[in-house]
Amino acid sequence: MLLCQSSELGRSDEFLVPLTLVGLVTLLVLASEIGGVSLALQLATGIAFPWWAPAVALAVWLLLWKGTFGVIEYGVSLLGLVTIAFVVAAVRLRPEITELGRGLLPSLPQHEPAHYWYIAVSILGASITPYLFYYFYSSGAVEDGWNEGHLRLNRVVATLGTSFGGGLAAAVLVVAALVLAPRGIAIESCEQVALILTTSLGRAGFWLFVASLGIACFGAALEVTLAVAYMVAQGLGWNWGENVKPRHAARFCATYTVVVALAMLIVITGVDPLKLTLLAMALTAATLPVAVVPFLFLMNDPFYVREHCNGWIGNGVVLAIILLASVLAVVSIPLEIMGGS
Amino acid sequence: MIHLVRDVLDSQLLARRGLKMGKVDGIVLELREGAAPRVAAIETGLVPLARRLGPGLARRVERLIVDRGLPVNPDLRIPWAQVRREGIEIRVGIDAETSPAYVCERWLRDRVIGRIPGA
Repeated sequence: MLLCQSSELGRSDEFLVPLTLVGLVTLLVLASEIGGVSLALQLATGIAFPWWAPAVALAVWLLLWKGTFGVIEYGVSLLGLVTIAFVVAAVRLRPEITELGRGLLPSLPQHEPAHYWYIAVSILGASITPYLFYYFYSSGAVEDGWNEGHLRLNRVVATLGTSFGGGLAAAVLVVAALVLAPRGIAIESCEQVALILTTSLGRAGFWLFVASLGIACFGAALEVTLAVAYMVAQGLGWNWGENVKPRHAARFCATYTVVVALAMLIVITGVDPLKLTLLAMALTAATLPVAVVPFLFLMNDPFYVREHCNGWIGNGVVLAIILLASVLAVVSIPLEIMGGS
Repeated sequence: MIHLVRDVLDSQLLARRGLKMGKVDGIVLELREGAAPRVAAIETGLVPLARRLGPGLARRVERLIVDRGLPVNPDLRIPWAQVRREGIEIRVGIDAETSPAYVCERWLRDRVIGRIPGA
């Protein structure tokens, strides 16, 4: 009997490339988040952030180990509301409406163009992080048992959530522009960033900043860790789930354990979390084509989504954004690294 | 009608009781004299997966697993007669717990994960 194997039939190893690239970049993202929490603890206690990394990693791991998906989802979102402090600060600083409007229009940088685009790309990468695709599919759709009836609600939540996040990000930019620019402060370290809320909110502003940084990064660290474990487990076909006992998804749990440990090691080296975050987000933007284009195929495949395929506007916008982000990233990352920041 | 590469290859394998047992990493065809080829089996494991990247890699992976006795499933063949397609998944009438496809899961559960309090 002659046997012929599928290696001779065709190659569909497309998953390995996104898995490796997204996996590596997401590990850097996770390290930045753990670094962010550690930095918040450094600001609060004065003890250098690398010392905090093991404790933060352990806390992330413990929550994943013991917690259920609901605890993680609702707990973190509720606590995350502390970041509204930035909106309060932005309003209290009374920005000029005309200036605000002018800021909404994209403009070309007046100085340090390479660094400007690098930061712009980082923000783009932070807004369309691919790990969220894996995270929301797995966590929401499967762990929370969504069905077709949740589609409309999801669209509303996604629109409101993204607008809320975007509004918050804009508030941070407004506060930074009003507090730092007039004083001629170019941020060199995170201690300086911590002071941006004190101008309008006083001493409480410092603690609100520390809490915002710590909680937002901690929540993101949980999500990112889970996202990597989801991606690996689903890609390789293992049992997985945050709501099942660890012993019933041993490889899944082993994956997030290893991932958290690796990210912790990166933070322990003492690499600046601020720089790491910018790099991780810019690299995220660079990997968008490999990470997101496969999803575009799925979103247009009636076999998977039946009548809910993307329209041409949706496809066009997604393609345009990922192309723009990746081209800018590929150009600006080397410039930033060569220029030395 | 079923498209082997599109609908079977890389699909999720579900064993009895819905346990996830890896992916369909390979498809084995039987070539017959004077007759059309027939699907003989599906494969799951690191070796058929590696074979798709190159036969040399597959041989090295297999040697590594066998020589070192690594707790990894090198290759499990499931006869086509035991295969059912359910939606986007592939169901096989196999008990995952005792199957070689679960070597790694069992090893990690018994030696590592299961020993941590709260598992």
